[in-house]
This record gives sequence, structure tokens and C-alpha cells, in this order.
Amino acid sequence: MTTAPVAVRSGLRGADLAAGLRDLLGPAKVLWAREDLLLYEYDGAIDTATPDAVVLPTETADVAKVARFCAAHKVPLVPRGAGTGLSGGAIPVEGGVVLSFARMARILELDVANLRAVVQPGLVNLHLSTAAAPSGLYFVPDPSSQKACTLGGNVAENSGGPHTLAYGVTTNHVTGLEIVLSDGTIVRIGGKAIECEGYDLVGTFVGSEGTLGIVTEITVKLTPLPEDKRTLMAAFPTMDDASNTVSAIIGAGIVPSAIEMMDQLSTQAVEASVGAGYPLDAGGILLVEVDGVRDGLDDLLGRIETICRAAHAQELRVAATALERDKLWAGRKGAFAAMGRLASDYYVQDGVIPRTKLPEVLRHVIDVGERYGLRIANVFHAGDGNLHPLIMFDGSKGEAEVERVKEAGREILLKCLEVGGSITGEHGVGMEKNCYMPLQYSSVDLATMLRVRDAFDPLRLSNPGKIFPTPSRCKEFSLNAAR
Amino acid sequence: MPRAERPASAESCATLLLACAEAGQTVRVRGGATKDHLGTLRPTDVVLETAGLAGILDHVPEDLTVTVGAGTLMSALRDALAAHGQFLPLDPPHLARGATVGGVIAANSNGFARYRYGGVRDLLLGIRVALPDGTVARAGGRVVKNVAGYDLNKLYTGSLGTLGVITEATFKILPIPPALRGTSAVFAKAADAFAAADAVVRTSLRPIALVVERTTERRWRLIVAAAGEQAPVDRAMTETARAAAERGGAMQELADLPDTLGQLREIVDHATDGGVIRVALPISAQTAFAEAAAAADRNVRLVADAASGTMHVHLRGDDTGILATADALLANARVVGGGGRVERAVAGLGAADGPDPAGAFLMRRLKQAFDPRGILEPARMALG
Repeated sequence: MTTAPVAVRSGLRGADLAAGLRDLLGPAKVLWAREDLLLYEYDGAIDTATPDAVVLPTETADVAKVARFCAAHKVPLVPRGAGTGLSGGAIPVEGGVVLSFARMARILELDVANLRAVVQPGLVNLHLSTAAAPSGLYFVPDPSSQKACTLGGNVAENSGGPHTLAYGVTTNHVTGLEIVLSDGTIVRIGGKAIECEGYDLVGTFVGSEGTLGIVTEITVKLTPLPEDKRTLMAAFPTMDDASNTVSAIIGAGIVPSAIEMMDQLSTQAVEASVGAGYPLDAGGILLVEVDGVRDGLDDLLGRIETICRAAHAQELRVAATALERDKLWAGRKGAFAAMGRLASDYYVQDGVIPRTKLPEVLRHVIDVGERYGLRIANVFHAGDGNLHPLIMFDGSKGEAEVERVKEAGREILLKCLEVGGSITGEHGVGMEKNCYMPLQYSSVDLATMLRVRDAFDPLRLSNPGKIFPTPSRCKEFSLNAAR
Repeated sequence: MPRAERPASAESCATLLLACAEAGQTVRVRGGATKDHLGTLRPTDVVLETAGLAGILDHVPEDLTVTVGAGTLMSALRDALAAHGQFLPLDPPHLARGATVGGVIAANSNGFARYRYGGVRDLLLGIRVALPDGTVARAGGRVVKNVAGYDLNKLYTGSLGTLGVITEATFKILPIPPALRGTSAVFAKAADAFAAADAVVRTSLRPIALVVERTTERRWRLIVAAAGEQAPVDRAMTETARAAAERGGAMQELADLPDTLGQLREIVDHATDGGVIRVALPISAQTAFAEAAAAADRNVRLVADAASGTMHVHLRGDDTGILATADALLANARVVGGGGRVERAVAGLGAADGPDPAGAFLMRRLKQAFDPRGILEPARMALG
């Protein structure tokens, strides 16, 4: 684990800050003891930093009070959901106050008539779909961490998931927000209608990783549950065969609701941990799901099976029951956790590439692993070209090992950019990839984004040190041109 | 007369904007000139025509993405993609009159297919914009999933040229579905037409059009179209017929589906008298709104995208009556949690803009940040 160098900041710190927050909210909503703060110094990624204090708001007014107080005392605000983020989004890299939304986790309204739900940011993703299911509805974005991750985090990171291939990521399912700006102003933007007058502030805000303000209420679309589904597990001798199958399916005009790929290292880890029934001798497997009305689903599945066979599939298995389907998905969604069997730590990348570049880039990933002597597992959203190479390592070997792992990750991201892709598809930039932003965007592009930031957060106190390269941590890159 | 300029590149667009900013000259951005009915159109010193920014810049059919110049005609893009069996799943109006890619984005111009495929904001992957400070900025990218940096695609979508000049865009595209069918039925009551539509929305049939029209005969017509594989399309027709029959409507197959949808889509262009307002509503508020419109103006023609909750209302009669009705309906839309605007005005109707939208102060700050001298489309969005 690495401890990020914390930029020395002005403003209130330590015991004075904690005392001020206690006066503001009462002691029950503030954590300041060293042992309490330790729990908030890490998230799902590999960087850590300790907050000065943690607050647990129970209503929007608490968040606004904290923001006003912090603005007056130049203290950074760092929102946190479940801490499952994979780019260090919830890490207080410049210190300050972490706002945990654990106590703002309610569904405020299930508006079945309008196909909307209004929820608090701390609500767990899966809880929304569970609550909507009796009405025949669900919330589409389904990150693999959906049993733990929160809607507020999903909005901040614009999260995806296996089933966003056909139905879109978080931003496509959010129509309204209540946000608190870093000066404490409470603003409601959008609503239950499909669009609102003026600029699309909701669309601009989703995916801003807490740097434009803090979400305190979210209005989302609910979608009718598909009448039926077909889920296919296809095993291939090589990853190349699996990759070519993905292109062939899309090329045949079929857009499944999900196409997920796993390499042999991943399936072996998953089998040892979950027992999803994946074949251990396959070089790569695909999980393909089609859904919608029942009519024609079997034909569609048949066409996909034919494509798989033509691409040398060694085994095809269609889930015969809902239980079998759940088992196949449990393997995929539990894959990151299963990596604990292979190594004590992993570093996951989130690059996106044009689908047609899959074979080329996957070969590059293997090459990087060999050159660095690191084991890399691949579990990813193949249909979107969204890679998740998991680089295994042993954090106890120290800082040099972590740096080597990051360097390997960097080589993979450079390849993604070289083929016209992106450094992140759904995990966010955070403090983990902000130094790479100048590789994807010009200084003018970044300066334009900073104009937006300054329109929302002129104080730059809302989750500082994220997305944009910072001089203290990104030595090779400067933001000179980006003001 | 304003000076017409036709820059041939994003860079020359930016240079022109910088020169205008320094000289204090105001600029209108114009593609096919099909959106002049949107917003307040104040005369400008310069009209920047995007026709010089036309052409398909990159199309990898296997990746299902396309990058085009903003001045490209939507119809030209449609034809070029069709040659590969693909399409951009947007069905905005004004294609025959020369709507361009940039104009469709700037006006957030959507059609009925939004419920099935998403709207402009959902299909736009990347954008290039010339700014009044003389720079050219990109946002997004050319891959179908990307969360690196702010999603400024959304900010520019619907900004009506007030923040910058869109010069290039990358979209997600799809294969043309093999089957297409449409049906329609006529109802005496708005409630029945909207209820039948709502029954279809609550399934996984996912139609490409679910439209309720109040006809010139003062009837309520439901039009449903489905596209995709043959079997689910057929099923959509069966289910739609059942939903209609339960509410007293008899669905009949439409032989001229593209024409029918085209007529409905062009309600604004067809409104040669009176005025047109457009609202976006929570979907369950549509029936009451449509009934209120019909009660206020017996001759109203109305076209609703019943799956998305957007509605165009063509008000007729004398100008004073239209003004009062438009004001009342827009206020009604806001009360039920939606919003709206005047799309085609009679004299004086432009004044019915109503109160600031939520977050207007943030919008003003954004406008100030992108266009500090206010040269781009002054007053068009009523944000000052």
C-alpha cells in the first residue's frame, strides 16, 4: 500500500477542526479519534490518506452546514459512499473532512407511475433494484460491487457494470439531482422529466467524481424487468478466439445485454472461490446474455452459438434455470474478490479500447505481464471494449514493488490510448490516474474542464486532488497551460 | 446585414471567434438554418456557417462508431451509414430541410426513438468545440465507454451555440434492424390513448415510437412502431393491439409508417398559423396535460412522445387566446414537475419564457466561463 504525499494545505486542521464540526453537528455525527479515522483512509484502490475528521450527515442540511464551515476554514470536502471505488475517489489526498453517507441511505420515493425513484446517496445499488422488483422494475447499472456500492458513488463515478452494454451506464439513468456546492449552497437540478430547460447540469455533474459538489439526493429511471433472458457460457481454447467472437457477434448485428470475458487465470481463481462451473482448461470464456420479450430469444441465442462454434468454442452451456444463471453471474461478479486466492494485493486497470483492437491489446497485456514478471488476470466487459487487467502483487514487498506494478499498469494504459481508447471506462480517474490525464487530453481540453469546475466549485475544495493532474503528485506532467 | 463566414476547419472557427470576441462582434452559429424557431433570435454581426465543416472523418463499422464534421447533413450521414447497413439511432425532425449534425446536437433535437435508443446526449461519445478564446477543445472520445474527465458532451448538447461552436462529433451507431412494423388506433378520449401507450411502456417490448396525437378531427390517435428481429417486432404489434382493444381502440397496421412518423415529427414545421409550445413532463402527467390543452383550445393539435413524456402543442385561434393558453400550459407543466418552452411563436409569445430553470445561476456562471464577452448567440437561452 502506498501513502500518498499529502499536499500541505492551509486552513483548519486536527483537533480544532474536529471541535468545530462537533459544535456544528453534535458529537454523534463526527468521528475524530485516530482509530476511527483509520477506517476511512483507504477504499477499493491502492492509495491511502488519513482524513482530519469524518462526518456522518443524516440530512442535506448537515451537508450544507459542513460545506459552509469548511469553506470558511479552507477545508477540503471528500464524499464517501461504501468505499468500493477503484480509483481512490474517496481518499482525502489533501486531508480534510470525509462525508460518509452511511446514514443517508433511504429510498425516498418509488414513483412507479413515472418510472422513477428518488433516493439518498448512501443507498446500496442492489437495494434499489430489490425494492423495485415487486413493481416489475429495476435500476439498470449493475457494478460488480452492487451488493455494497452506493448510488451516490455510482453518480460520482458514472459507474457501469456488465449489463450496461445495451442499456447504458449511470448517466443514462439519472434525471435529477440535489447537490450541495462547496460553499454550502443547496441546488436542485433536473427532475423526473426526461429533460429540463437550459443547460444539462445533471449530465455535466454525473461522473464528476465529487469535484463539482456533493450529491445529496438522486432521481433515477427505473426500467421494466425483461420478460425473459438467455445466458450462455462459451469456452474457447484461446483469448484470441474469444475476442474474435465478440467482434463477430457485434458484427452480425446482435447487441446482447452483456458480453463478459475472463481469462484462464481468472476462471481458475473463481472456481476455487465461488464454484461457478467454469471449465478450467479453457484459455478464455465468454458470458453472453440476451434479454427482452421471450419471442425470438432462442433464435438469437442459436445465432450466437453458431458464431461461437465457428470461432472454435470448445464448450457451450446455456443456463437452464434462474439458479444456473445466477451461478454463472456470481462467478463473474465475484471475480475481483476471488483474486485474493492468487495474491495478497491486486491493481486493477480500467482502460477502454475499440472492440476491434481486443486481440492486439490483450496480447500486449500478456507481454507486459511477462516483461515485468507479474501475473495479470483479465476479467472484463468485452462488449464495450472495457478492459480490467488485474495485476497481482505482494504489497508487503514495499514501495518499490508497488511502483513497478503501477509502471506495468501505465504501459497498459498507454497502449489503450495508442489504439484510440480511454484510460478509464467506469472506475473514474480519481487520484490514481490523474497524472495520465494529459496523455488523453490536451492542456486546452483540461483547461476547458477546469472552467466547469470553477463554475461549480470556485474554492476548489470539493474533492481536491482528483481528475486533474496536481503538481505535487504528477511530477512529469504539469498543468501550466491549463491555468 | 450580418457578415457570413464559412470557416473550413475547427482551428479557423476558433480564430474567427477570437477575432469577433476582440472586436466585440456577436456571432450566430448556423448549420442548415432549420432551428431558427428555437429561443430568442437577436440579430448578430456575424453568421458563422458550419457548411465548411462537413464530412465523415472516421467510420469503423465493426466498432459501431462514427466521427463526423458538425456541418454534415444528417441525411448525408444517414445515407453513408446505410451503405454499411448501419444507422445513427436518432430520428430528429427537419432532415429534408437540411438539418446538420451540429444543429441536432446544439438543439438537443430528438425524435420518438429516444425511449428505445437514447437521445442525443446518450449517443454522443465525443465532441470538438471551438471556443471564443480561440482554442479548440475536445471532450469524451471515440470509444463507447469513457469516464475520463467531465462529460462535456452533455453540457454542449442543447446549448444552442451559446458556449462554443461544435465542429466535430463522434456517435455510437447500430446495425439497421431487419424488421420494422407500425400500427395505429383512434380513441375518443385522451386517457384511453395514453393508458394504452403506458401499458406498452411497462413491458420489455421497447418500441421505437409510441406517439399520441390529437388529430384535427379532435380524436386521439395512438401510433406504435417497433424495430428489431421479426419475432419480437410481431409480438410488439400483438401486445399493442391487445392494450388498445382493452381500451376500445382497434389497431390497424400502417402501410406508410415512415411517412406517418415523418408527419408527426414535423409538427413544428407544419404549424403555419398560431404558435407551438413544447413540454417535457413526468410520464404520468401526460393525460391531464393533454386534456387541459384540448380544453383550452378546441382546435389544438398535439403530438406526444408518450414513452418519454415530451409533447408539442400547436395552439390555434386568436393571438391573445394563444398567449394566455401557452402561459397557462407552461405553468401547468412546471407545477407537475416538468418544464417547457415556446418553440414557434406568434407575436408576443416569445415573452412566455417563464421563470429561470433550477440551477440557473450555475448556467450563467458556465456561460460566463466559456463566453465571457457574451458574443455567442446573445439572449438566445434567456440566461443573460
